[in-house]
Amino acid sequence: MSILFSVLVKPQEYLDPGSGSLIIQIVLAAVMGAGVAIGVFWRNIKAFFTGKKASEQELDPTAIDPTEIEPEETETPAIEE
Amino acid sequence: MQEKVSASFRDPSGFMFKVDGLYYRQVNLAYQKDWDLFISSGLYQQLSKAKAIVAHEEMPLDMATMSEKAYKVIKPTQLGFISYPYEWCFNQYKDAAILTLSIARRALEYGMSLKDASAYNIQFLDGKPIFIDTLSFETYQEGLPWVAYKQFCQHFLAPLALMAKTDIRLGGLTRDYIDGIPLDLASKLLPKTTKLSFGLATHIHIHAKSQQKYADQKVSQKEVSGKISKQATYNLIDSLLSAVRGLDVPTISTEWTDYYQDNNYTESSFEAKRALVTDFVKQVNPKTAWDLGGNTGEFSRCASDLGIPTVSFDIDPGAVQQNYAIVKKQKEKFMLPLIMDLTNPSPSIGWHNQERDSLKDRGPVDLVMALALIHHMAIANNVPLREVARSFADFGEHLIIEFVPKQDSQVERLLSSRLDIFPDYTLEGFKQAFSEYYSILDEQPVQGSERTLFLMKRN
Repeated sequence: MSILFSVLVKPQEYLDPGSGSLIIQIVLAAVMGAGVAIGVFWRNIKAFFTGKKASEQELDPTAIDPTEIEPEETETPAIEE
Repeated sequence: MQEKVSASFRDPSGFMFKVDGLYYRQVNLAYQKDWDLFISSGLYQQLSKAKAIVAHEEMPLDMATMSEKAYKVIKPTQLGFISYPYEWCFNQYKDAAILTLSIARRALEYGMSLKDASAYNIQFLDGKPIFIDTLSFETYQEGLPWVAYKQFCQHFLAPLALMAKTDIRLGGLTRDYIDGIPLDLASKLLPKTTKLSFGLATHIHIHAKSQQKYADQKVSQKEVSGKISKQATYNLIDSLLSAVRGLDVPTISTEWTDYYQDNNYTESSFEAKRALVTDFVKQVNPKTAWDLGGNTGEFSRCASDLGIPTVSFDIDPGAVQQNYAIVKKQKEKFMLPLIMDLTNPSPSIGWHNQERDSLKDRGPVDLVMALALIHHMAIANNVPLREVARSFADFGEHLIIEFVPKQDSQVERLLSSRLDIFPDYTLEGFKQAFSEYYSILDEQPVQGSERTLFLMKRN
């Protein structure tokens, strides 16, 4: 009965994240802290010398593009003579 | 009339449905807590203002189809043509991957986690990728790994790596593997040198080995809880981002990308053809158009430049990639370039053969264009003219088609290496075959060539 039960009770997650995929994240968490920091540092140095800097929106499509913001309606102040 | 959308059934958080041709989404009570955080945290506002996710408006709850489960009903921005990952060129795929990761990263900032990183959650709207599944976010729990990591690697990183490092044509593999390319398969197909790249080595090769090693062990999220800090999740996403950004395909000069430098047109006849096509498009005044064999979109733009949403299909990934580069550079909103082999168009795939629609099921459109294409169908692929007409008639009501006769150097080239078994391939034979399905409305010679342009309407 308990075997049947364990088959029927599925994990709560909507997607199966996969055991191996969870384990590797723990390993990477330990390894990568330093690696990513070096990567960012290196890119900054490269950007400094090449003078190339991508726009924020190009780097991150979830950043709000300031050129595309629709102006909010504001009341025009009455001109006082 | 109300109908359910067959691609939307896996997620218990809610589902899509259609009323009178418009798409709605029901948000279930089960998702209430996450939904409220998604809105109240400001994540929705940030993403929708950045046009990273489709905006929506809230509708009255009595529209719900399963009202006992319903928490909200929303009407998202309505999309045009739905495209699938196996139809995207490399850079479209790459932009979709970058968007997905950027959204996952942004969600963390707002205390949420992206729980679904499927490539099918991305569509192209106004020339740019956009995330369409509003129910893909859950409350972030400190210490837990990223639940969609495996999915991201299968859906995005593996196909991109295969296209860039093994062969561009492997993008088509995503059609066979609807839940993304298995990582052990990707690992096997990638060249050994990719083991030297940190990103591909970890996220594909070692990841695949880890999956294999722990295949029989059930590790629950709870067991790994507390092991991964929020910073480590940021690092993971950043590492994936840099792996994706590091992948590129050279601007390929394949079959068709050189076509306009090496064809039957002089500059003036090219312009004349453009004017003629534009005139025909204006006569039809379609709501939507498909250009079959659109190459880099030269003539598809006769429609899209008029503000008509146009899909430009081509078999050549290089041409589609060039077309997409133009779309991005000129910030075009009405052009969608896609890869399509018209002799084997995208089939219906997935559960019950209903999850992803075939090309035919995504039509019909008001206008189909087929310029300089007929000889590839009829001569290079042996499809009888009558069959070509039948197929095009299924795709749309009006047809702008160019007949390319045997005297044309492009056809001569096709015939040079094979026996001419096409006695009916003449202007008269063409008109006769197409008349079975269409009425010919107009017929104009293309200046400076032997070709003829037709405007037809389905019978």
